[in-house]
Amino acid sequence: MPKSSIAMELTKTPNKTAARVGIGGPVGSGKTALIEQLIPALAERGIEVAVVTNDLVTKEDALRLQRSGLISPERVLAVEAGACPHTIIREDPSLNIAAADTLAQNFPQADVILIESGGDNLASTFSLDLVDYWIFVIDTGGGDDIPRKRGPGIIRSDLLVINKIDIGPYVGADVDSMQKEASEIREGRPVILTDCKKQTGIKELIDCLVHNVLFLDA
Amino acid sequence: MEVLDTVIGFASDAPFDAEIHLLSHAGKVEYLDISPNDVSRRRIRLSTDKGTDCAIALAREQRLADGAVLKLESDRAIVVRLSEQEWLAVSACDQAAALELGYFAGNLHWKVRFDGTILLIALEGPMQTYLDRLEVILAQGKVKVVGPND
Repeated sequence: MPKSSIAMELTKTPNKTAARVGIGGPVGSGKTALIEQLIPALAERGIEVAVVTNDLVTKEDALRLQRSGLISPERVLAVEAGACPHTIIREDPSLNIAAADTLAQNFPQADVILIESGGDNLASTFSLDLVDYWIFVIDTGGGDDIPRKRGPGIIRSDLLVINKIDIGPYVGADVDSMQKEASEIREGRPVILTDCKKQTGIKELIDCLVHNVLFLDA
Repeated sequence: MEVLDTVIGFASDAPFDAEIHLLSHAGKVEYLDISPNDVSRRRIRLSTDKGTDCAIALAREQRLADGAVLKLESDRAIVVRLSEQEWLAVSACDQAAALELGYFAGNLHWKVRFDGTILLIALEGPMQTYLDRLEVILAQGKVKVVGPND
């Protein structure tokens, strides 16, 4: 085949853009605690992180991360929803897009920007204009029937995390049943069990991000 | 893994059309089939129809679309092929039912289009999930399914 003139003219230029990963889920499911585990575990693999947090009318989650010592405070930005949390991650995510753009501009070497939604309900989903990939976090304390309730967050998320598996026995939650039902409902798409106190499942979760959205496993 | 980080053009536009046409006849075009649910993503990992593992990582200002050329070499091209959006078509029996259906679809954040008096609901999951949500107003005869529509 003759050489293509167009192909020869195309030059490869590096196009570094940070992946944007949404983390949503009900109030108290452990989204911030999960991020507190992810930040050092990602750093151990040489993955640079920045974070956008969403709260209703405060900057509570941002302050928690900024004071944690896990990440430079300037790498964390807060967005105040002022209304239902899903409105600014789905219907009009412009505030979050602006916050992520600011972090991308200030930290051009960042590999991933985590965008934590405010605590919401099982119907919460992310706009794909905002994120490239999104995680939905539920926990055993919410009841082991949560997967059966089949909210859009459970069905459509790229990755479902069942958190706080350590407290399952104390709240009467059958963790194995939760995992089995969630996998069936999600037709085999990934479900990961986590216990943030013992870092259980964190490596598996990062492996999932590395393969599906960070593309660092080649 | 092939990292594809730029939409370099469109297969239907000059000067790419002639090049892609030639490569296609030689069986040298690989297609990445992307569903309407995923086309908004800037990053996604997929395999082409010939099995090449691809990592799409576009800049924020770029978007995937049908016919987007992501790779063009002298002997190979990788082109996006957007699959058809599937729709559920429903109609309401009267104005009151139409109001109720409109409210219902909005409350569930469904993506819709209008075709005269027909409401077209974009399926982002199994059709049965949508029929389950509509079960009550279907049973009441306020709304009827007039067919899948693509």
